[in-house]
Amino acid sequence: MISLQLILLIIFGLVAIWFGWRVFMTSSMVRSALSLLASMVAIGILFLVMEAEFLGVLQIMMMGTEMSIMAIFMMMYMMDPGGLGQMDMYHQKNISIAAGVIVTVLIVGAALTTDWGTIATQFPGPHEQNRLLGMEILKRSMMIFETAGVTILTGMIASIAVALSIKNSVEK
Amino acid sequence: MELLITALIIAAVLFGIGLYGALSQTNLVMIMMGIELMLGAAMINLVAFWRFLHPDAFSLQMFVLVAMTVMALEGAVGFAIATQRFRTSGTVEMEESAELKG
Repeated sequence: MISLQLILLIIFGLVAIWFGWRVFMTSSMVRSALSLLASMVAIGILFLVMEAEFLGVLQIMMMGTEMSIMAIFMMMYMMDPGGLGQMDMYHQKNISIAAGVIVTVLIVGAALTTDWGTIATQFPGPHEQNRLLGMEILKRSMMIFETAGVTILTGMIASIAVALSIKNSVEK
Repeated sequence: MELLITALIIAAVLFGIGLYGALSQTNLVMIMMGIELMLGAAMINLVAFWRFLHPDAFSLQMFVLVAMTVMALEGAVGFAIATQRFRTSGTVEMEESAELKG
């Protein structure tokens, strides 16, 4: 019997795949960034369909901001937001297609042939999930979470250092 | 079982598209978009494994948070490199970036 969850999983999965494909099929930078935003939002909805509410909402919020920034950067770098220039931005196209298809087939093959054991039917509700994730973060995975925080700080400093004008830094 | 397999197939196709994009594009920001798609696919797998195999193991959800951190950092550092590249050579086309070639 086909459940509602399976139908929603297929629908939003196809939406994520379609927009993921559109990212590389349009000559407009803004359309690429917005397609990626749509694909990431569809992935967030997939999380909601799989009843990981917190992660789903977090994914949609994070990707909404990240892809908007990406669209602005794309316009700044390319100066062709409407895609009127018909730019050719591809190289080694056949090898790339072959690599993508082979990897997809291999992963699908692995997914279909693996014995996944029993499927869980009981799982915590949204409220309990948030509580248990909080306990996980503050207990067993605390060091990983702290490391992620320090890594973000390091990334921020590194990004600013890299993006600074070379001319100014030499003068100082 | 079909729910888990469907989620894994969706993730596999997204990963394949992301890999194609990362390998075929010459623009740095487009390469980053391919990497983001691959990370998104990995996150779908993690959530599917949590939901359908180990709903009591919250380290899997924790792993998704780490993947999101990696995504944000990849974006930040990637844009910083792109900005510097644009300043020095006026383009973010990676075909023209061969200064470090041995």
